[in-house]
Amino acid sequence: MRSARFVEKVCVLGAGSTKYGKLEDSISDITVQASVGAIESAGIEPKEIEAGYISNVFGVADKQVHLGPVVMSNLGIPEKPSLSIESACGSGSVSFREAFANVAAGFYDAVLVTGVEKVTHTGTEWTTTYFSYCSDFFYEGQAGASFPGLFASMARAYLTEFKATEEDFARVAVKNHENGLLNPKAHLRKKITIDDVLSSAVVASPLKLYDCCPFSDGASSVILCSEKFAKEHGGDYVKVIGSGRGGSPAALQGREHMTTIPSTKLAAQAAYKMAGITAKDVDFAEVHDCFTIAEIVDSEDLGFFEKGKGVDAVREGRTSRNGDIPINPSGGLKSKGHPIGATGVGQVVEVYEQLTGKAGDRTVKDAKIGLTQNFGATGASCAVHIFQSV
Amino acid sequence: MSAKQEFVEQAKAGKILARKCTKCNHLHLSTVYYCQNCGAKEFENAILPGQGTVATYTIITVPPAGFEKYTPYAWVVLKLDSSELRVSGFMANIKTPADLPVGTKAKITGFDERGILIEKQ
Repeated sequence: MRSARFVEKVCVLGAGSTKYGKLEDSISDITVQASVGAIESAGIEPKEIEAGYISNVFGVADKQVHLGPVVMSNLGIPEKPSLSIESACGSGSVSFREAFANVAAGFYDAVLVTGVEKVTHTGTEWTTTYFSYCSDFFYEGQAGASFPGLFASMARAYLTEFKATEEDFARVAVKNHENGLLNPKAHLRKKITIDDVLSSAVVASPLKLYDCCPFSDGASSVILCSEKFAKEHGGDYVKVIGSGRGGSPAALQGREHMTTIPSTKLAAQAAYKMAGITAKDVDFAEVHDCFTIAEIVDSEDLGFFEKGKGVDAVREGRTSRNGDIPINPSGGLKSKGHPIGATGVGQVVEVYEQLTGKAGDRTVKDAKIGLTQNFGATGASCAVHIFQSV
Repeated sequence: MSAKQEFVEQAKAGKILARKCTKCNHLHLSTVYYCQNCGAKEFENAILPGQGTVATYTIITVPPAGFEKYTPYAWVVLKLDSSELRVSGFMANIKTPADLPVGTKAKITGFDERGILIEKQ
């Protein structure tokens, strides 16, 4: 790939989010609520927004697809262009990446990036079934593989290949619930123990209910802009210093190793290169922990730990909020929740709050550089972004 | 017949229809149209035996719609003996991990509304 030539440095100027969980308001209402939060946080007027990037997967469940124009109209700027983006559970970060590219290229000075999902009213069977359509359906969903089942297959491979136990996976859930307890926007604000995880109902062996993130409703939003625009507006902002993307074979069977996600490695390499840093320079990360095994695999693929050593790091507390590389201080998908179209943007909201001193009790001490990693399906698509405080 | 339909017909006979790149010999499942190794577009069919070993699997207890009556069941990634290819599918009547250690010998036995069917050898 040609190395990108940027006209503008890109910044996140403001961030907003609804609570994650079971929400009563409609999909368009919560999308607008999060967007208004980001606009007010940025201290800008809606008319200063030049384009909207709206990520969502199952708008059909709440009778509203083509969300972009609805959101822009509700913000009083119906004439502004918008784009509605789907990339499974990675929709939010992919949308963020497209917005980043357009601001970096100088097409726009300021854009709105909002992600949303509203599915909890449909029930577990609907969501399990429709989410399975995000897999390579001919080989996976059609043969009865649910998403927990696909990640359970990765977990089984990890248990077979490395020195790890189901208790090690449980520690990820316990840690993320501890963090989520301090996050007022989190879906599952509840302290849990290793025994709670191990004794919870099996969903797809070896994964149990508490190894799985919940199905959540929620919306998250940020204002992305040029550094010049951010400085002129005087609000708190953070710089986007790295952006990378990658792909993997759509089906698990296409991968030589099922204990690694190739797209994460590719996206991370590209993002680190753009930022001119290595994994060692990252102070904390928000990663895609849709299942406990995923956080272990992510932490290795991002270069924080060697392959097979991610479980040791969790056991030693290195990824806890006070560890040397805190992972998912927000509570992650596991505790904060996973409104799939919003998650990638929600991670950026957390990094923005952490790096601008707005994260309250869950603040990661002395953090200057934060990383987000968000993927679609079993990591068939992935985006990694790196942010630096000003 | 589409490539997918040809693949399904072979799976029903317990075999895997693969496509071999005529330029570099790289093997793919039938639904690939360009070689993932060298980018070439010419392939010849290779019909592979459906025998292999379980590379990884899960036992599903919370199923998607349509699978309630089969629950619990396994979804299996099968590494074929004859090549480096892996193929995934449905395996009935698996209740606990003790029923299916990784490395168990298994084979393709058919194709129906549950996709590719796999059974222990």
